[in-house]
Amino acid sequence: MRRYLALMRVGWLVDLQYRAAIVIWLVLGAAQPLVSLAIWWVVAGGGEVGGFGRADFARYFFALMLVDQLTLAWDVWYIDRWIREGEMNFRLARPLDPIHEAIADNLAYKAKSAALTAGVWAVTAVFWPAVRLPFEPAQWLLAGMAVVPAMAIRFLSTYVNGLLAFWTTRATAIAELQYGLSLFLSGRIAPLSLLPPVVTAAAGVLWFPYMLAFPVEVLTGQVTAGPEYLRGLGWQLLWVGIWLGLYRVVWVRGRRHYGAVGG
Amino acid sequence: MRVEATTSRQPPSPRGVSRLRRLAAVLRAFWAVNLAEELQYRANLLASVVGTGFWLGTAVLTAAVFFRQTPALGGWSFWQVVALLGVFNAVAGVVEAVLRPNVGRIVEHVRRGTMDLILSKPVDAQFQVTFRRIVIWRGVDIVLGLGLTAAALVIGGRWPGIVEVVAFVVALAAAVAIAYAIWLGLMSLAFWFVAVENLSILFDALYESARFPVTAYPGAIRFVLTYLVPMAWITTVPAGALTGRVGPGFALVSALVAAAALALTRLLWRVALRRYTSAGG
Repeated sequence: MRRYLALMRVGWLVDLQYRAAIVIWLVLGAAQPLVSLAIWWVVAGGGEVGGFGRADFARYFFALMLVDQLTLAWDVWYIDRWIREGEMNFRLARPLDPIHEAIADNLAYKAKSAALTAGVWAVTAVFWPAVRLPFEPAQWLLAGMAVVPAMAIRFLSTYVNGLLAFWTTRATAIAELQYGLSLFLSGRIAPLSLLPPVVTAAAGVLWFPYMLAFPVEVLTGQVTAGPEYLRGLGWQLLWVGIWLGLYRVVWVRGRRHYGAVGG
Repeated sequence: MRVEATTSRQPPSPRGVSRLRRLAAVLRAFWAVNLAEELQYRANLLASVVGTGFWLGTAVLTAAVFFRQTPALGGWSFWQVVALLGVFNAVAGVVEAVLRPNVGRIVEHVRRGTMDLILSKPVDAQFQVTFRRIVIWRGVDIVLGLGLTAAALVIGGRWPGIVEVVAFVVALAAAVAIAYAIWLGLMSLAFWFVAVENLSILFDALYESARFPVTAYPGAIRFVLTYLVPMAWITTVPAGALTGRVGPGFALVSALVAAAALALTRLLWRVALRRYTSAGG
């Protein structure tokens, strides 16, 4: 635990040096949801689209931006470089599994980027009533409980994706593929209920909606306490388990593969 | 070395012409090495084709998600928007092939001090940082993007006339010039904000808005995208000229906007360089 705090402190201080960089990354992260929101806003006009009015879209995409920052994971880019440029070696020599450094960095970064996003949201809500969430602390608590497994799924899937660099030079290309799919299956372009039913059904058994769309729906109140919430939570835990298992297998085999080639 | 050899053999000629020839020789020298380097990674061609194909598919499906709920976006039909997405991808190809590997490196040049090396050479610095290398594989984006636009026109069933094609070519050239101006402008800021290494990402964020015709946005955003950050001129105007959504006269306006943008960024670049040299000296 103390080691974790130390690692997080390092991550926190490193990020602080790049404050402006964080803001720019936030702007990039906000671009796609804001474009989608603007287009849906016009499409909805004064009426509704698939049960979504203008204000519903506004709340949905603001919640999406926040949950996106909370669940953000980018490790594939680092791991790919560590493995290609040999920086993995000293990390393997340390007595601490590199995943702990990655988790600590991840949490330290999110603490800032998510707080900033929440702050921007709060200020926007003062001027723009459409993005105001109803004051329901119980619902926010439920959303918070759904965000934690979402963080784990997204982090683990990204980390495992990064470890594929032990075998292939195209690990980052696979990550882009995952992102491309997540545009639809995680609800980035549109709420899942607006996609063709086949796509929504396919998404429901994959991990994509459980790392983004599901917590967003809870936060905006589309999913309230009840069987639907529990089912979502169940799927989340299932996918955390699956990705944790995959991580174990890929980490052990990848290290062996790496060592064999290097030695 | 080769550059000097070719220029010294030139017969005396009007100053402008010899200057152009000299620049052409410099370009040849830059790109000969560059090409030899790039050709070593031929597998990248296949990867580029697959990657671009995937992103084009994603873009078209994204548009399809919106068109499930509405017959038109800002007055544009589905196939007109697809034609626009082709333009989006082609310009993105120019960005990846030429702008990012060159203009995108200015921050690095400033931070590492290699900018001094560039400034010490007897060729215009802006020319050097713009055309030093090309990532030819990303040319795939340009070809496939324009291919998508052509396919959308065929399926859409409205073939453009000669005037519209000419307007499109002019508007597309202007679009590339505007994209370049925005990049150079952003990167000139690097001379003031050296710590911000990811400034170029701001372009990516803004460019995200160019996936849709500017008329599909709410009024205030439309204003911003037309007059403040001129994204409308990059995709909406060329695609609109081709599909008849925008009058051909707009191509000329577009050329004027491009000329103004280029002149402005040239100015900003000069100011930035002056700041750099005075701070360094």
